[in-house]
Amino acid sequence: MIKSWRTWPIQKLESSDFPEQLKIIKNCPKSLYYRGNYNKNIFDNSISIVGSRNITRYGKEIVSKMVPDLLLNKLCIISGFMYGVDCEVHNKCVENNGITVAVLGGGLDYLSPIENDSLYTEILNNNGLVVSEYEPDFKPTLWSFPQRNRIVSGLSTVGVLVVEAGIKSGSLITARVGDEQKKKIFAVPGPINSKTSEGTNYLIKNNLAKLVTCVEDILERPVLNYKQENIFINNLSGLELEIFNLLHQDSLTIDELSLTLNLSVNEISSTISLMSLKGITEEELGKIYLIN
Amino acid sequence: MLTKVYSVTNFGLNATDVEVEVNVADKGFPGFGIVGLASKAVEETKERVKTAIINSDIEFPNSKITVNLAPADLPKDGACYDLPIAIGIITATSDVKLPQEKSFFFGELSLDGSLRHTKGVFLLAVLAKETGVKNVFVPRLCANEASVIEDINVYPVDSLKSLIRHLKKEKEIEPLNTVNTDDVLSDIKADFDFSEILGQEQAKRALEIAAAGGHNVFMMGPPGSGKTMLSRAMTGILPNLTERESLEVTKIFSITGNIPAGGSIIRNRPFRSPHHTTSQVGLIGGGSNPRPGEVSLAHRGALFLDEFPEFSRNTLEALKQPLEDGYVSISRAAGSVTFPAQFILIAAANPCPCGFLGDLKKECKCNAHQIINYKKKLSGPIMDRIDIHLNVPAVGVDKLMINKSTDLLAEKSSEIKIRVARARSIQTKRFKDISNVHCNADMKNKHLKEFSKLSDSANLLLKQAVNKFGLSARTYFRLIKVSRTIADLAESEEITETHVAEALQYRIRNNDY
Repeated sequence: MIKSWRTWPIQKLESSDFPEQLKIIKNCPKSLYYRGNYNKNIFDNSISIVGSRNITRYGKEIVSKMVPDLLLNKLCIISGFMYGVDCEVHNKCVENNGITVAVLGGGLDYLSPIENDSLYTEILNNNGLVVSEYEPDFKPTLWSFPQRNRIVSGLSTVGVLVVEAGIKSGSLITARVGDEQKKKIFAVPGPINSKTSEGTNYLIKNNLAKLVTCVEDILERPVLNYKQENIFINNLSGLELEIFNLLHQDSLTIDELSLTLNLSVNEISSTISLMSLKGITEEELGKIYLIN
Repeated sequence: MLTKVYSVTNFGLNATDVEVEVNVADKGFPGFGIVGLASKAVEETKERVKTAIINSDIEFPNSKITVNLAPADLPKDGACYDLPIAIGIITATSDVKLPQEKSFFFGELSLDGSLRHTKGVFLLAVLAKETGVKNVFVPRLCANEASVIEDINVYPVDSLKSLIRHLKKEKEIEPLNTVNTDDVLSDIKADFDFSEILGQEQAKRALEIAAAGGHNVFMMGPPGSGKTMLSRAMTGILPNLTERESLEVTKIFSITGNIPAGGSIIRNRPFRSPHHTTSQVGLIGGGSNPRPGEVSLAHRGALFLDEFPEFSRNTLEALKQPLEDGYVSISRAAGSVTFPAQFILIAAANPCPCGFLGDLKKECKCNAHQIINYKKKLSGPIMDRIDIHLNVPAVGVDKLMINKSTDLLAEKSSEIKIRVARARSIQTKRFKDISNVHCNADMKNKHLKEFSKLSDSANLLLKQAVNKFGLSARTYFRLIKVSRTIADLAESEEITETHVAEALQYRIRNNDY
């Protein structure tokens, strides 16, 4: 039986025990509440990742590409425990047994959003921390979210990575605050016609953030990478290989595949099933994607 | 003078004969009273009968009239007693004689003495045949409903006047010729054809499987992707109604007054698409005198629920019983009735409240919480009872039309129907000894072992899928049922790896809900 987050005691951290990088920010909180095992050292190598609540397929792909590599390089990942990118980041960390820190916009006993119940527990069980500057029963409000953003960025040593963000979003506030705190800001570019990439593209265009496409760009040194495993390419049948090559260019629906390859839908369907069993493809809202 | 005329009352899908006793007394104050648990509609009969008789140039007796509808403890509803009461009054006061053999009189009167369309004629004819009643006198507008029943004389009546002339043997009404059901059922045309729908080949294939195995379908896709059109075309690929099925459907349509004037038995498989504001009673059936709901009207056909998550929670939950059992039992103070409800459920939904989640051209305007709440409604036991889950992405017309002419590719409904019929006949043979199982979707788990032989590689694939996708036991069994249907469509006795792999495409996906 896994211990629920509610059974973890809430502890209080005075500002004297804060990591150094947090002490020096403007409006530094006097104290922080936290659940988990606090250890100052985990913040020695940390990065904040923020992004849109409306995460798209693209955002998910970025997160699943970046987070495992960041963890592999012993970084602790800080985010804001909200829907979308935040959740995706925390989830990916937990999946890879990495240390992640969630900074809440409300009190530690006030679960928001309620869907994150199991995520809360899993963060703690993976040696992560859940922190908040508010009283444990404080209900998050419209203003408390932007306010906690200064802690999200303030805790990081490496900088703030913006994954997907609209033009008017909390993520851009975090980026601005981070900039004021003299943190490095990184942004992943997105398609120019995507609403959820307008903010990141704006940051890059106006030199407010560094354009990054991989973890090496962030750490500015050679890093450890998960090797793209190519073993499955050898096991692919002729049709599977054809489909693989098509999907490599663009994600397609089954109809589009059957038209392009001039094969019946049932043949394509069963081949796609076999490919997803091999862990090569994935389907979302009718479109077939390659798993990176 | 006392006369007795026979008519019927309906309760649920059963008809019972009713004796209409009319007494015209010589003594006492003039008046007109009806007893025998008559509803408001029957009470108002008095005014219609009186005016209709006078307007038919017959004298209305200026005496005390008492009408008793026996058995007295059975509730009577509807305007169908107009004709028997009028005939009772006329025969009691004049030299008009009732036919020698027992006859049913049934129909609503208009004030000018003509007869109007009245619901329930088909059930009346069935009862007449069962109880050996020779003649039925029904309004001409709905007389065709009774014309498929053999061994009875169906007299189509235009007006009170013409009926009196018939009874006086001045000018007789010709009884209807009996119509052969097979002739009627052989020629049907669907109003939508699959070849008219551009693209969506995967969805068409899924519907073909659904039609062949009687599986329920859930479709998710943005507005305008063709969900409604696909569902409407579905009836065109379902096999023809058999005679027995047609009579079942006709019963339900007759009792609800859904057979149009002049219409005979129902030949097309029903397609019902109630709006999402439909109440629970409207969908399931009910009322103090229980009426069939949409699920029963869709019996032997398809029930299409568009905007599925917009239906109220209660309404959706109430669907569970008919989906599981194939009938609805309704108990009310007046008694309890069972309506059949074996239908293919086709549910459609948008991926989010605004509909554009995942669309590349339009931005989704919903916040994360709205989307979660929307999808929450879909989760649970209802989704578990649906075999085929399908994403219907918007069709990029440009993408589909560049290389090839779509006309060449598009298959006609009639061609698909042949395959479906073949698969169905395999199933009919397979389940001939098992009651309550007509098609693969009806199979219970114990039947799966017997009828769904999996090849070794198919078995292995299933095991892999269970591990990889974390499938529940229920999903596992649904998967085998769908594989069985795919194998039937391929006319293969054994379920092979390819069949299972295709069925996997239609499984319920955790990240969708």
